[in-house]
Amino acid sequence: MRPRLSRRLSPVVGLVLVAFFVVLAVSKPREEADVASPLIGNPAPSVRSTLVGEGDFDLSRRKGSWVVLNFFNSTCVPCRNEHPELVAFADEQAGLGDGAELFSVINDDTDEAVSAFFAEKGGDWDKVRDPDGTIAVAFGVAKVPETWVIDPSGFVRMRVVGEVTNSFLSGRIDSMRAMMSGSGS
Amino acid sequence: MSRLKAGLTWAVMAVLTVGLLAFGATRSSGPSTQEERIDAISKRLACPTCSGESIYVSRASAAESIRNEIARQVAAGQRGDNEIVAFIESRFPGSLLLPPTEGVDSLVWVLPVVALVCGFGGLVVVFRRWQREGRARANPDDADIVAAALREHDDPTDGL
Amino acid sequence: MPAVVWASGIAGPVGRGALLVGVVAAAFGALAAITAARESSRGEAVRTSRLVPRFVGLAFLASFGAIVAMEWAMVTRDFSLQYVQDHGSRSTPALYNFTAVWSALEGSILLWIFALALSAALVAWRYRRRLDDELISWAIAVICIVLVFFFVLSFGPANPFAAGAPGVNDGPGPNPLLQNHILVLFHPPILYLGYVGFTVPFAFAIAALVTGRVGEGWLIETRRWTLFAWGFLTVGIILGGWWSYEVLGWSGVWAWDPVENASLLPWLTGTAYIHSVLVQERRGMLRVWNLSLLLSTFSLTILGTFLTRSGVLNSVHAFSESDIGTYLLVFFGLVVLVSLVLIGWRGDQLRSPGSIDSPVSREGAFLANNVLFTVFAFVVLLGTVFPLIIEALQDRQISVAEPFFDRLSAPIGIAMLALMCIAPVLPWRKASTELLRDRLFWPAWCGIAALVVGLLAGAHGLASLLAFTLGGFSGGAALRQVVLATRRQGWRGFVGRANGGMIVHLGVILIAVALSASNAYTRSQELRLSEGVPASFAGHTFELVGFSEEKDDRSTAIKALVSIDGGQAYAPAITKFLNMGMNVGTPSVKTTWRYDIYLTLEPPVKKDSGEARVKVFVKPLIMWLWIGGGLMALGTVLAAFPGRRRRPTDPTSAPVPAHERVTT
Repeated sequence: MRPRLSRRLSPVVGLVLVAFFVVLAVSKPREEADVASPLIGNPAPSVRSTLVGEGDFDLSRRKGSWVVLNFFNSTCVPCRNEHPELVAFADEQAGLGDGAELFSVINDDTDEAVSAFFAEKGGDWDKVRDPDGTIAVAFGVAKVPETWVIDPSGFVRMRVVGEVTNSFLSGRIDSMRAMMSGSGS
Repeated sequence: MSRLKAGLTWAVMAVLTVGLLAFGATRSSGPSTQEERIDAISKRLACPTCSGESIYVSRASAAESIRNEIARQVAAGQRGDNEIVAFIESRFPGSLLLPPTEGVDSLVWVLPVVALVCGFGGLVVVFRRWQREGRARANPDDADIVAAALREHDDPTDGL
Repeated sequence: MPAVVWASGIAGPVGRGALLVGVVAAAFGALAAITAARESSRGEAVRTSRLVPRFVGLAFLASFGAIVAMEWAMVTRDFSLQYVQDHGSRSTPALYNFTAVWSALEGSILLWIFALALSAALVAWRYRRRLDDELISWAIAVICIVLVFFFVLSFGPANPFAAGAPGVNDGPGPNPLLQNHILVLFHPPILYLGYVGFTVPFAFAIAALVTGRVGEGWLIETRRWTLFAWGFLTVGIILGGWWSYEVLGWSGVWAWDPVENASLLPWLTGTAYIHSVLVQERRGMLRVWNLSLLLSTFSLTILGTFLTRSGVLNSVHAFSESDIGTYLLVFFGLVVLVSLVLIGWRGDQLRSPGSIDSPVSREGAFLANNVLFTVFAFVVLLGTVFPLIIEALQDRQISVAEPFFDRLSAPIGIAMLALMCIAPVLPWRKASTELLRDRLFWPAWCGIAALVVGLLAGAHGLASLLAFTLGGFSGGAALRQVVLATRRQGWRGFVGRANGGMIVHLGVILIAVALSASNAYTRSQELRLSEGVPASFAGHTFELVGFSEEKDDRSTAIKALVSIDGGQAYAPAITKFLNMGMNVGTPSVKTTWRYDIYLTLEPPVKKDSGEARVKVFVKPLIMWLWIGGGLMALGTVLAAFPGRRRRPTDPTSAPVPAHERVTT
């Protein structure tokens, strides 16, 4: 306000403004959160639920085989896109002796819509209900589709956010399998 | 109103206010429902899919799921508020809405205080200077004029 | 309809053409105005000035044409345009189809341009007889330059008339939240009038700096423009809060979202300006400070637009990303740079003589007000951009949100209320202790009364009780002023800046008290209701009476009919929007003057089950928020009327003897 003060203050004001401008200029549009999860390398959360149709689901009882959980919703566009890849993946794994088991975890959708979706698009693996999002929260899934891979001893090995392809999923599981049998026994 | 009486009245008013405030501040707020605990926790966490909204505010399905999880944990009664927040934060990294108070992040708490101190400090400095200048500007000629004007004034007891 | 067939596809070319005309007209308007200003400064005959209103008028028509073209495209469902494909739909009801034009970035910039061109035209018309005045010419030139920028923005990177993929016959419609409540018709346009309105005082400030006429002339010119811009911004913000309350279903009015903060920032600096400008009018002081406040108010509207429209900050309001960020950032930089250079250049003339005698005076209170408002604005800006700073420094993402702002705004709000207790009774120059003691006597009792009422109503907790006490005190101080003024001047005691300002104060106080009560004392509970079995919470009973379902082309709404205390049934709903696959909850609110009962229906809803999860919020004093908002708008209008003219010989700062009559 006063001359002397303003002369002393003006470089400071200028500097702050320039720094502020630089911060704004280097800021980039926000992207998706990274796919790191504290669960990777740790035991999978023990989740239980029921299957569409008949039967119960208990993740801890799937020990002994590779488990792939695909969180999905029948209206989400990337989920619809990746579905043929999942069908191919399921077929390929079924052909193997100790192939991975695929489960779809229903996210915010109804049984009827999901059944209609599978009837239309194929795929006969089990669909796990998650009515109030317990499984999604246990894994930290916010947005579908997400795919998680759990090893035969119940440890979380991989998380994929967004669409997956059969070749990517099969390839990664193969290499992890090879690595574990190489170092394990 | 005599000066003494006015002063007394104000003192009474001040004591009354402080007393009532103290009474109100310390009286019990009554039991809070589980829902209110859930609300309090969900206000501290960001919804992972909805652009900075809190779980409390958001109606997205992810927020819905996390609210359900909080409700489950509150109902189970085994974890405190902070533990529940920490649990959700471990599943959904970056969902803590309150910036931490250590490291660079603490600047967001420190700078407002600095700004307030600078602002009112600046006011004090400016008023000091104005008072100094106000006095300095009345040079002897001005003083003579004022004195002359006062002399012309017939009734020196008239304060107004 | 043949007319529609004939006109289909016409909106694109017409709109593009209008925008192009707008760019050119605004650019020539600026050139003509600058030329006129230079002619008049050299003392030559001013010939170009009569061209100025023509170009401004043309730019206004162009902006009108552009927005009408967009409306036409939207109303006739012209799916040849990308924008209509993205935000239009055959099933959107007419009203929301009309408002769909500003439901996304490109269209909202059209609305912005229209509001800006409207203010340019109003300025040109208002000063049509003074166009050869250098100050006016420069001001119009500045508005035209801003207008050019926005026309270019709309013509280039944010083109609303881009052609879409061929063969598209329908679209998803606007975001479901934007087709859910009538306020979407009012909130954005009014808010934009507020943002854009500040361009006029900004332009006059720049004009004053350029011409060197930095005295008080430009202030007087822009007094009412500023007031109306501020009023529109205020009303726009409050309507936004109301919309949030009625639509979003979390029972709150304000979430400290970046877009909300972006509207609050210019409001805070604008409010500071409206107060401190009085010191300059009266005493000729604080010139640099007032200019800075005004220039920052305008810069902050641009900065806010950048922050929220470029995708650098997450916000529920954020539109899809686009590359207008760079344009806005460069424009923001230019505005700040030009402002600083001009202030530096005119520095010597801006130095004003005089001093403020005592901090305990009206001018002292205005300065304290300015410190509080500026610090508040700083806090809001810091919190909003802090994630960006951390990202730039450490490449880490953090959130700064509601809890942070809540914690810091509470003490600042309390301090503002405290200032509002004392400031209205302070005279100019200097106040004595006796004068304060007398004038504050009844207001202070009002404060104590408010505290007692709060305690009787069961209030607890220091912060909100303080807010009640200070609210009563400051309300008393404002009322005292209005009562004295009406006693002296009759109905004229309600108009004029000081009196209208007190009405605004009353509105602010109501809002502050209502916010603090509703933040502190909201009770909430989720009830699992079975049909015919009443449940009780917070002294009320809630009974599920049944369900109703409404279907139309775009959505299916399921409503749970909940009778409160055996009376009328309220119907919180969940609407599934078919095109979007999105569920939108709609709350239902029972409003009383003491509290609101706010019901939301929680998913999933199975209406055959005869059960529903209903969340109940009991929120005190909400109605007073809207009454306070109404008072603020009313007070702004009253303040714009000329008050009682003071005879120039009247003393301006002597103690008014009236207080003795009141207190004894």
